Amino acid sequence: MKLKTTLLASSALAFAAMAGTAFAQDVSRENTVIFDLDRTIQDPENFNWMTPGTKRMHGAHQTMWEPLFILNYGTGALDPWLATGFESNAESSEFTISLRDGVEWSDGEAFNADDVVFTTNLAMTNEEISSREASTIRSQVATVEKIDDLTVKFTLNNPNPRFIVENFGVRIFGSFLIMPEHIWSGENAATFTFNLPIGTGPYTFSSAASNRAIWDRNDDWWGAKTGFMDLPAPQRVIFLESGGEESRAQLMASNQLDAAQNVTIGTFEAIQAQNPNVIAWHDGYPYAASDPCARQLEINTTVAPWDNANMRRAVAHIIDRNQIVNVAYEGTTEASRTMFAQYGSMAPFIDAVVEAGYGLPAAADTAGGQALIEAEGWTRDGDYYTKDGETLSVNIHVNSASTEYTRTIDVIVEQLQRAGVDARAVPVENGVFWGEVLPFGGFEMSYSWLSCGSVNEPWASMGRYTVKDVVPVGERSPGFNNTSRWDGPGAEAYSAIVDDIASRQLGDPEVPALVAEAYQYLDAEMPFIPLAQAAKLLPMNTTYWTGWPTADNYYNHPFFWWNHTHQIIHNLEPAN
Amino acid sequence: MTSQDNVPLTRAQIRQAKRIKRFDNPWMNPKLIWGAGLLLGIIFLGIIGRFIWDLDLVFTGSSPLKLPPLGFENLRGQSGVIDHPIGTDGGGRDLLALIIVGAPNTLFVGLLASFIGMSIGIFLGFSAGFLGGRTDDVIRVGADVMITIPPLLILVVFQSAFGDVTLTMMALLIAGFVWQSPTRLIRAQVLSMKQSGYVQMAQLSGASTGHIMFREMMPNLVPYLFGSFIASVTTSIVTAVGLEVLGLGPQRIPTLGRTIYEAINAGALIQNLWWWWGIPTLLLAVIFIGLLLINLGLDEVSNPRLRKLS
Repeated sequence: MKLKTTLLASSALAFAAMAGTAFAQDVSRENTVIFDLDRTIQDPENFNWMTPGTKRMHGAHQTMWEPLFILNYGTGALDPWLATGFESNAESSEFTISLRDGVEWSDGEAFNADDVVFTTNLAMTNEEISSREASTIRSQVATVEKIDDLTVKFTLNNPNPRFIVENFGVRIFGSFLIMPEHIWSGENAATFTFNLPIGTGPYTFSSAASNRAIWDRNDDWWGAKTGFMDLPAPQRVIFLESGGEESRAQLMASNQLDAAQNVTIGTFEAIQAQNPNVIAWHDGYPYAASDPCARQLEINTTVAPWDNANMRRAVAHIIDRNQIVNVAYEGTTEASRTMFAQYGSMAPFIDAVVEAGYGLPAAADTAGGQALIEAEGWTRDGDYYTKDGETLSVNIHVNSASTEYTRTIDVIVEQLQRAGVDARAVPVENGVFWGEVLPFGGFEMSYSWLSCGSVNEPWASMGRYTVKDVVPVGERSPGFNNTSRWDGPGAEAYSAIVDDIASRQLGDPEVPALVAEAYQYLDAEMPFIPLAQAAKLLPMNTTYWTGWPTADNYYNHPFFWWNHTHQIIHNLEPAN
Repeated sequence: MTSQDNVPLTRAQIRQAKRIKRFDNPWMNPKLIWGAGLLLGIIFLGIIGRFIWDLDLVFTGSSPLKLPPLGFENLRGQSGVIDHPIGTDGGGRDLLALIIVGAPNTLFVGLLASFIGMSIGIFLGFSAGFLGGRTDDVIRVGADVMITIPPLLILVVFQSAFGDVTLTMMALLIAGFVWQSPTRLIRAQVLSMKQSGYVQMAQLSGASTGHIMFREMMPNLVPYLFGSFIASVTTSIVTAVGLEVLGLGPQRIPTLGRTIYEAINAGALIQNLWWWWGIPTLLLAVIFIGLLLINLGLDEVSNPRLRKLS
């Protein structure tokens, strides 16, 4: 799998060289913005985002498909996009969304309430479609109805004050994308390929291959005609798979890339030394923007010996988070104390957990971990623990897309090895990792950030490990929830408390105590082990384009593989 | 002591003496000695290093990150320290420890793969050449078919499927692709040797096939076999390093190829961490030059016409 990345890296380089000539005929480099893609596009002919694969983050949901709202991380507000606003009833079980007038699909058809109702019904009725966004809608919505052309009313199964931001607000990565009824109607949403795709965005699809996707500006975009927004400045947007850190850095230094995926701080400093036009979120150290998805070690709780909670807790004891921060992040982040992103808005919940004694220490307690292993009947025999002639071993899957990921696991492997566990890293290509390994439980332990979700309340993260999402190994976890397959009395008690939290209004003063109460089960059973807070160091190039999101120009966060990238592209301005 | 002993030899006499000496013992040629010296140096480094250096430093996070060799400065302005005389890599591993463990590992994979491959090649080559007929056809066609398959391609698929492999496992896989050339070459030699008088004499006197193949003919092929062995060590190491540089070798066992892979993967080129990729590359160059010199030297042993007269 590693090889694939390497081969693609070289083909990406070849392509980049080609981009200068082959594509220069119609759109010059000055009018093109090139984003880095951290994975292969395994099925470049397929644009059905409701099915698994690289079908939205290769530019489709950054340029072509627009969300209804965009959560602004800077202000905390929900910026309206295809919708203009929403209203809900007192108990948050009915939501009425008002759509923007004048929105058109790129083929000229009007975008209206029919499309929203149609797409929602598609997700609700077709059990086969599996994307996280679609399965969330399916589990939450009871009915959806059209009030008039620009008004849609959702009735929920259970009260959910977060319904809009969770499903339509680009809170984390994506949103539930509305598809054109006049093209999708009559098609089976589980198999339809939606080629040629259309959207409401200012760009239309031009071409795609396994390592790139090209999107061209639609000068007839509705937003410019209605005065919603000016046409974005770039005439062409390219998402290009750069490969590893080295080629990413070289492309950035030679201005063949405008925004790159995460690099280590040493590489960033080297890029900046060669190309002073390259900037990042912060002007100086640590440069990186904090990512709301804290890193963790996911454990498959169905595979022996890790189906034993004490063995999982032993691993948690052995892991030294300080070393992860120092080696994998070169000191640019901090160790996780709980499962939550350490944002100021999350502090009440984190503090409640830590005060209750369930916080994780940054340093290791190897002896404590070994004592737990020995208490389970394992004895140290030479380098490793054995029991009944079997060596205590574990394979840890990790996606190979970034040095950050692989190095974190290298550090953990080393720590486990020294403590007597024969741990091995299994690097896997990003697309395979997310498409085949994680959702189907095809791992013993795995690097992940699947408790990601909460940025200002605890439920979004905690709700991902409830028992209702447990499926057997080999079946797809709904929306990547509870891929640990954590079940049993502890998990049930936890789920009951989390369900209680779910029905409470934002800001309910009892929630922190409930969080701490639920957290005792996570602490006792460790279906996953929080590791470190993620920090993304994304180099952005000001040679051709300015207006990148930074701490000083905080119109939103810089994670350009998210659905909110529309805002970034609209903010870009030619450097000259 | 007579006065005769003190008479210095003339130049011509010295040359003559040297020449005779060389013909006396073709194994003492400088290419062979230099080549063997380089390889022994690597082995020596591995053996001595194990005693004087802390090998736990090969593991991730055991040292500070990205320190340069003594006397140099990295981009951050840190200078080298005596604890890590040739620097550390981006994962906190000491490079000296890495090469003490890694360089002999790389050589080991080459030698083992080549040894197994040669053994198969000798057996099949002799069988094909000496027995002829069906056996010859099967072996010849088999080797011909295998020789057209690019080994790296197949090995990449194998290794990706196996995941983490051990050094021995990797050597075994490579051995599956280095037996064809020796098989063909040995077969050709055996075919021509089969017609020689001593073989026919042995046949007439009723010696068994095994006896003729391995006791009568093989000793005559020893320099030749050595040459072939060294050539396939080179091929095996190239293949092994190729796999390692693609990240497909063993994961936690240090090898030179994997060190280069990690350097490339972590952006060592752009960060100017030249010691990280440069030192393993240099050692690989030393190994290859050593093997080449041995090969040239062995050529002179097996082919007297190559021995220069002066």
